[in-house]
Amino acid sequence: MSNATKLLALAAAALGPVLVRAEPVVFTYTEAVYIDSKEGPLRSPEGVACDDRGALVVADTGNSRLVTYAVREDGVGAGTELKVPQLVAPVRVQLDPQGGTVVLDRKGSRLLRFDAKGAYVGAVEPKGDLPGTFAPVAFKLDADRNVWALDGAGRVVVLDPAGAVTRTLALPKGVFTDLAVDAAGTVYAVDAGQAMVWSAAKGATAFTSLSKSLKDEMSFPAYLVVAKGKLLIVDQVGHGVVVLGTDGSFQGRQLSYGVSEGLLQYPGQLCLTEKGDVFVADRNNNRVDRYTIAR
Amino acid sequence: MSSSIGILLALSLAAAPAAGSRAAPAQGKLKLKPGASGQVCLECHSDFQKLLQKKFVHTPVRAKDCTGCHSPHASEHGKLLAAEGGEVCLSCHSVTPAAAKSTHKPVAENRCRECHDPHASDAQFNLVKAGNDLCGKCHAGIVTAAKDAKFKHRPVVSSGCTACHEVHGSAKGATLLKADVPGLCTSCHKVDRPIFAQQHGGYAVGTARCTSCHDPHGSNARSMLRNNVHPPVAGGQCSKCHEPPGSPNKFKPRQAGMALCRGCHNQVVNAMLDKSRVHRAVTEGDSCLNCHTPHASSEPKLVKANLVAVCGACHGATIARQARSETPHAPMKDGRCAKCHDPHSSSSALMFNAKDSVELCGRCHDWQKHSTHPVGAKYKDPRNRNLTLECVSCHRAHGTEFKHLIPYATTTALCTKCHEQFRR
Repeated sequence: MSNATKLLALAAAALGPVLVRAEPVVFTYTEAVYIDSKEGPLRSPEGVACDDRGALVVADTGNSRLVTYAVREDGVGAGTELKVPQLVAPVRVQLDPQGGTVVLDRKGSRLLRFDAKGAYVGAVEPKGDLPGTFAPVAFKLDADRNVWALDGAGRVVVLDPAGAVTRTLALPKGVFTDLAVDAAGTVYAVDAGQAMVWSAAKGATAFTSLSKSLKDEMSFPAYLVVAKGKLLIVDQVGHGVVVLGTDGSFQGRQLSYGVSEGLLQYPGQLCLTEKGDVFVADRNNNRVDRYTIAR
Repeated sequence: MSSSIGILLALSLAAAPAAGSRAAPAQGKLKLKPGASGQVCLECHSDFQKLLQKKFVHTPVRAKDCTGCHSPHASEHGKLLAAEGGEVCLSCHSVTPAAAKSTHKPVAENRCRECHDPHASDAQFNLVKAGNDLCGKCHAGIVTAAKDAKFKHRPVVSSGCTACHEVHGSAKGATLLKADVPGLCTSCHKVDRPIFAQQHGGYAVGTARCTSCHDPHGSNARSMLRNNVHPPVAGGQCSKCHEPPGSPNKFKPRQAGMALCRGCHNQVVNAMLDKSRVHRAVTEGDSCLNCHTPHASSEPKLVKANLVAVCGACHGATIARQARSETPHAPMKDGRCAKCHDPHSSSSALMFNAKDSVELCGRCHDWQKHSTHPVGAKYKDPRNRNLTLECVSCHRAHGTEFKHLIPYATTTALCTKCHEQFRR
């Protein structure tokens, strides 16, 4: 081995772990989804959900519909439209473990449930003692099919699969745009105004700040997901994805502004699979972008 | 006394005369000319003779002690100053209270010369201008409005801004006020007189924040109410929105949130809620009062403050981007966010109040007269099959770090994003 090679190997050994720490998640562009099976273009899609069985559901907000796709080894298949009168402005979508879908429709702030065949089941209405108006602005489903809703009344409301209110948790003052819950039951919420993440452990009665204000790192965080021991945050006005540790530490930023494939314009929701596929609802680019974070 | 304390005492006694009369031993040692600390300077800087004739001369200047502030040979600071900007002043002048609730920005930034002439002036305290004219250098909008107001506040006319405001820092109030509101106001306006209750519809507002309705600088509205008054307030119909003055909860609104406003503005509310994208500020928290004030405002449509502040409360990053932009976009710079966005609701993703950016931008920019680049629904964006060419295909309306609101450093970099054949 020459001296130069030895030096390079030494530098790689020394810098390798540093680089891995600084850039723990790397997005690599794969493909983009523009249309449904009838060549109908997506328009301002804000929501996207996916699972490990190859299902991909797009909340095609501007067209007031859902479009479902099958993700195969060779790419995303043709999309099937799901359009019902109850869908006016679908903005967030989640797949439940039984194959059903829950959609947040911004018009009227309603959570709508669809079964595994795509049939409309009904609106998710809280049952039990819940003061004030329930007007969800974001939500997540956990493994037990409980609905975790970020309510416009400044609280997190947890509903069991039957709709019964099982827990409420007041949010701090802020402009909260999304929440996420991990397998341990810790709930995270993101305040876009201060670019801060808050958390509450299972059983906690109040949120505490997890991160400091990350205004230098994020412009307007709009979506949050916990995956692979990280918090992935969609920075809608910053046109990118910010990666935080579950301790709130800033660990990197991926993607940037642009119109060409692999770039974002006002992204909305993001979903990812165990395999490392990531789909981003690229709202102002009228498409869904597919990336991989698998190494 | 221990030996070390003795040594320290001896040292300090030896040092004391040197500190008290700094120039004397140095003059001998450095063989300085008589008057080297200032009189000698005037031999070259003869224009200073004229300054010495002014009404108010800074003490070290009058004593011809130029070296009090300047280093005679060389300095790392402009004008051979002994320290940077106002730090020189702070070596003699301590002007802000220890626990200031508010500090004047130039003071906090050591920009003493914004207001004071360090040598001499015809205005007291060596001010560069006298009275309200000085404040008007930065606060022109307020000073001019106060001067032109139909209903003037007497202290503003007779004693100027300093009747109510401190000039450097205040330990007692925000915005440099000499005391908090309403305490400052009630030191002149007696709230226990029957006429006071009568003027306020029988409501006991003696402890309320006067400036939420009244403009303390003067106004064109009766009773010095802020220029834009909510009609029920102007008409003295307080109980249209509040419980009657004699009731136990007299200040409580008759209904909560938007429901109260709907009483008069039902059609407006219905129209805004009918659109697919309703601004969260409309429906959450204090609803209408997130952005509007219910009584009176200096801003049109009873908006709480300039839209840069109101919108910036949630969209601070967007406002900050504009502030950093190489080319400022006029509507945003001036706080006219509603020129392009509907603040209540819209069917467009970016809350535009037009069908698309071509129509929107065309209201101010006659691009059709100077541009031949195709834009509009007929022209596909070559980078994205689902987009057509619009103004926002090349420009970002809230500003970028580059000129002409484009997102790339050069026009070439922008154009070759589509016209790839010309890429070098």
